[in-house]
Amino acid sequence: MRRSLFILCIFFSFSSSIKAELLITQANIHVGDGTDAFTADILIKDGVIQRIATNISAQSNWEIIDAGGLNVTPGLISPTSNIGIVEINALDVTRDDESEFLKSGFSVFHAFNPNSTLIPWNRSNGVTGTISTPSWRSFPFWGMGSYFLLDASMNITGLKDVAMYGRLGSSGRSRAEDILVFEALFKLAMTIDIDDIEDELDDSHLAEKFELQPEDILAIRRLIEEKLPFVLETNRAADILQAIRLKNTFGLNLILASVEEAPLVLEALAAADIPVIIDPMDNIPDSFDELASSLDLAGTLDQAGITIMFSTQRSHNYHLMRQGAGNAVAYGMDYNNAIKGMTKAVADIFRIPNRGSVQVGNYADLVVWDGDPLEPSTFPKYVFINGESMDLTTRSTRLTERYSKETSKPRSYLH
Amino acid sequence: MLFCAFFLVVGCEKADIKEEVLQTESQAFLSTYQPMASENIVIVNANMFDGLGNEFKDYDLLLKDGKIQAIGPDLVIDGSEVIDAQGKWVTPGIIDIHSHMGVYPAPGVRTSSDGNEATAPVTAEVWAEHSVWTQDPQFVLALKGGITSFHVLPGSANLMGGRGTTFKNVPNNSIQAMKFPNAPHSLKMACGENPKRVYGSRGQSPATRMGNMAGYRKAWIDAERYYEDIQEGKDTKRDLRNDTLAGVLSGDILVQNHCYRADEMMMMIEMSKEFDYQITTFHHAVEAYKVADALAEHGICAAMWADWWGFKHEAYDMVQANIAIVDQARGGSGCAIVHSDDEVGIQHLNQEAAKAMAAGNRAGYDISEARAMKWITYNPAKAAGILDQTGTLEVGKDADVVLWSGNPFSVYSKAEKVFIDGALAYDRDDPKKRPVTDFELGILNPNSARIES
Repeated sequence: MRRSLFILCIFFSFSSSIKAELLITQANIHVGDGTDAFTADILIKDGVIQRIATNISAQSNWEIIDAGGLNVTPGLISPTSNIGIVEINALDVTRDDESEFLKSGFSVFHAFNPNSTLIPWNRSNGVTGTISTPSWRSFPFWGMGSYFLLDASMNITGLKDVAMYGRLGSSGRSRAEDILVFEALFKLAMTIDIDDIEDELDDSHLAEKFELQPEDILAIRRLIEEKLPFVLETNRAADILQAIRLKNTFGLNLILASVEEAPLVLEALAAADIPVIIDPMDNIPDSFDELASSLDLAGTLDQAGITIMFSTQRSHNYHLMRQGAGNAVAYGMDYNNAIKGMTKAVADIFRIPNRGSVQVGNYADLVVWDGDPLEPSTFPKYVFINGESMDLTTRSTRLTERYSKETSKPRSYLH
Repeated sequence: MLFCAFFLVVGCEKADIKEEVLQTESQAFLSTYQPMASENIVIVNANMFDGLGNEFKDYDLLLKDGKIQAIGPDLVIDGSEVIDAQGKWVTPGIIDIHSHMGVYPAPGVRTSSDGNEATAPVTAEVWAEHSVWTQDPQFVLALKGGITSFHVLPGSANLMGGRGTTFKNVPNNSIQAMKFPNAPHSLKMACGENPKRVYGSRGQSPATRMGNMAGYRKAWIDAERYYEDIQEGKDTKRDLRNDTLAGVLSGDILVQNHCYRADEMMMMIEMSKEFDYQITTFHHAVEAYKVADALAEHGICAAMWADWWGFKHEAYDMVQANIAIVDQARGGSGCAIVHSDDEVGIQHLNQEAAKAMAAGNRAGYDISEARAMKWITYNPAKAAGILDQTGTLEVGKDADVVLWSGNPFSVYSKAEKVFIDGALAYDRDDPKKRPVTDFELGILNPNSARIES
């Protein structure tokens, strides 16, 4: 039972009613694959992109939205967020991103709340999917993140446990010990007899020391057996080299996050073919691990051919990775790669099928922007998920409306 | 004084002593800031936002002797270095009214984390400037984002956390050498969750919001007595806490009040009436839009983020139009400020203003870029009490000026040159004209600075 929980990668496919065709005309299409934008029409049927061509002739029963040359991108996908699992950070009772007894085996999947206010908020700002992740902890493995489509349906569309998250670096004890723990756990996970896992863990000093459960070991085993993406947050240049060594030794599908000192080991990182998740705006040398931190990070990595995805340090506003991407471009990153880093790169690296790019056969998760999508002052005009136009109302727009009206009554009567 | 000498010799001696004490107090830790040497510079053909709400095309600006000497089209000036700003933008130096640079420096390590004297709910006696680490590399990063002045506050653990100080962004090796000349101190006050959490968790008062209110009021009652004693010339032992609070009651010290919720802002306004002082600014005013008219009526600024929310319960009701609603209250008489409280945000206040402006216009307001520029120049200067010296491109003011590579409301634009008192404090094109703090020198590689750009 426990075993099946971790070996199965459950995909809840979306169930949609049959919809009429939707034609978006004159869209300046950013495919999301790193290529230049071009203007064409997009035909959507049953939530899926059917055709992309110029001058598609519409039939009378089709719904038509004229993009009038506006930019259209794939819906943005956040590669690391707390959407649906944290409502208010400072209120523990609203948090489901921390586990009591599981470590690497911790999955946030069943905690996802489709009614969280973060969903309409981030969606109205262009985010249509997210990987929600466990929070930072001092143990090197934090647990696994799951993918969720942000359609707010109670019938959740998602992918359970798409990636493991962890960290390597300063934590109050020696990082040498953390590396040792990584190596020992990888070895244990690969040599343990799964049919006798409870007994074997009882005999393992390592498992006893860290109070590891079978779920923890089985999850680590997936990193090697299934090449489950492993997102490792690390910054110091020497730690990045250690991470590369771990990847090569154990054949990991490694993604590095933060990597503020990556420019110091640029060639090694590029040669190791490791994608990264960075916040291009975080140029603060917050710790002695991040002394080389600078706004040039994204441009430097991009020019070395390293695939970049984006995070943001700001809780709740995961759409702000767009502002980060804009700053990345301002400091030397290729524009099309920046769009790719918020869309297709995430879908490809985290194995989210049929999403993340504007191409025939993919679900129509699209955003029509009222300007350059990388300008912070630009907003979505339309957001589509599975070809359905999303209501852009949020709790925030409701409050704005309530307080911009003239009234003699208490505002609690304005709704 | 002459009157005293003749009629009330004894009483006046005491008054003299008291005055001397107060004078000593006010003369301690004064600014010793000296502008760097500067050339006469004329920036020509620029697009300008003057910080007063105007936008000019093809305008020239003369910086001379550290001051703005002339602004206008086609200035004819000889003997000055000419910078052609064709296709570029010029604005006043950007000002952040809420910074913890220096008191929470980078790297964020325990040994220099000096922003909250969280040992008692009222610590009006401490001064944030006494915690500032002059080597903080964040000063330089902010400078690259166009920040020429910033106000450093104590944290919000306490009801009354201590004094805040305004600085010129010219890193130097003493605090006094960085202090903005003649800028008033502020008193940092904090509403809501933080004080009651910090002290409630220790089983101390305040543990509730009603405990918060009682805590401030008790402190004001003590301060009133102290202030009266001083005014009456009584021989009162000097008290650092009451010096600060009496400074607020006399109007010399400005109140910078951390307060998220609208209902709490209204309580703080009522309390300011009870004790007869003026609140200058509500900070982190996530719910300011709910009481924007009251803020405008009472002449109180609101310092806000463009879009931060949800990290705590009192930050749950964020609206992106908050800044615009405050700005437009009572026929546009509101005082809206974009602040950072953040070492990354302070580098991009122009982008934060861009988001807030766009959100306001989406909500139906008609806010120009020139108007939005006031949120990061004129209004924070006013809130810091330095508007007579900086914050706009007006003749006679300090030549605190930013030359931007493009429209400052675009993510692609960068501060190319930053002038402070007419001196080139930062030049994107010349590595020698950028400060490097002691901390950064030779730290990763003995032969270079921490970062090279």
